[in-house]
Amino acid sequence: MNQRERARLVVTCPDCAVRKAIDDVNEAVAFHRRHRAITGHDVEWERAELEGASIPGEDLRSVIAELEARVEGGVPLGLVTVAMGERGMTIGETLDAVRELRMEGKLYEPRDDHLRVT
Amino acid sequence: MTRWNDGTDATASVSPDITDETNALPAKYFTDPAVHEMEQETVFSRYWVYAGHENAIREPGDYFTRTVGDRQVIVVRDKDRGMRAFYNVCAHRGSKMVDDTPMTDPGNANGIRCPYHLWTYELDGDLRSTPRSFEEAGMNPDLEDEDVPRLDPEENGLREVHLDSIGPLLFVNLDDDPMSLAEQAGTLKEELESFPLEDYELARRYVSEVECNWKTFSGNYSECDHCQANHQDWIEGISLSESELVVDDHYWVLHYTHDEGVEAAESLIEGEARFYYFWPNFTLNMYGNADGYGTYIIDPIDEGRFQLIADYYFKDAELSDEEKEFVQLSRKLQEEDFELVERQYEGLKSDALAQAQLGPNEHTVHRLHLLAQEAYDA
Repeated sequence: MNQRERARLVVTCPDCAVRKAIDDVNEAVAFHRRHRAITGHDVEWERAELEGASIPGEDLRSVIAELEARVEGGVPLGLVTVAMGERGMTIGETLDAVRELRMEGKLYEPRDDHLRVT
Repeated sequence: MTRWNDGTDATASVSPDITDETNALPAKYFTDPAVHEMEQETVFSRYWVYAGHENAIREPGDYFTRTVGDRQVIVVRDKDRGMRAFYNVCAHRGSKMVDDTPMTDPGNANGIRCPYHLWTYELDGDLRSTPRSFEEAGMNPDLEDEDVPRLDPEENGLREVHLDSIGPLLFVNLDDDPMSLAEQAGTLKEELESFPLEDYELARRYVSEVECNWKTFSGNYSECDHCQANHQDWIEGISLSESELVVDDHYWVLHYTHDEGVEAAESLIEGEARFYYFWPNFTLNMYGNADGYGTYIIDPIDEGRFQLIADYYFKDAELSDEEKEFVQLSRKLQEEDFELVERQYEGLKSDALAQAQLGPNEHTVHRLHLLAQEAYDA
């Protein structure tokens, strides 16, 4: 990913009025976790564009299944938050929903912060 | 003198006295990941670190968590309304107990319970109760129920962390046998306690992540030589030439006098803004023209990133339009400073500079660097 593309990834906390440009989609997840631990605030994507056509599917699991076909080694959690952000969910809401599916056995993590459907 | 990375790898200690040589802390102490790791022990586990404000937890059982490096403590008001801090670690098998709970959204509980096996502790840290499975040995054929040892509530209680305060400002120390907060704070304690800090409410918290070492921002905060060129809105109405820098063992304060005609808060010394830096990473900011104050926590994430936790206190948590405008101005100043320190850090990371030098009026920055060096060498 080149420098120009990097600047296209920006997360924001509306409550804190802070923005953060990041290099990698999963950095947004790490930022969200740190930020929520200190403030209790939820973080949103301000700018992030998925490469290629938009992802079909409405529910979280089908979106992850679609993304799984496009990436190897599991879908980065941050990428899932981008796709769900396009559907109006904050990063925190997506992480909560992912946890619920994992607890139901419908998702698993082949490695940290990467997802696959079961 | 300035020392470039010219192949000689030559650096010197921070100058003991800024009137002599003016050596800054060598650049590697800002950029080396090993230094970040070392600082968790030599700095953040040894000195008193700001935990939060007492007003956020007014009732018995109110609590918040504070993470210092990779260690998290629970700060709680006990049943006698005293303040205590414990590691957020269960005495049973070491589980983290309560979820992250920021001061801005505190929790309340009549005891601290670990969700793993439901060991429950009193607010003074003593073990209150365990489930029956820890009192009876029904599943263990080698042990009779009456032979199960009783757990002493105190010996099996939570590990307490040293906690002390300056007015309503709570500090924790992770060292087993620390110097007292009064010793570290010196005259700062009496000076801050002369202000009615407890009369103010937390109204806003802004958290930013910045791409530079925490000491880079701390150095920037500690001097205003850069203000004329970089904070033109801020310096309007302030007599920089009348300002005064006072340096004590572990803190320093920058006094700025407002020009005539600028109204000051009645509770602060009229016409004066004060910026206190308390080693290692806490500041208290009295703006002079606002009836309130702010605090900064400058928390390292790694060697190249830190979090600025900026809290604003006013008489009422509901801000007036004027107060909102004031906070926005403060945020603007932060953004201006972030740009400066990230730019500085890009230069430091380039490895061109082995050791910087300080200016004659940067004795506050010098003190910061000297304290860091002393901590590393101790």
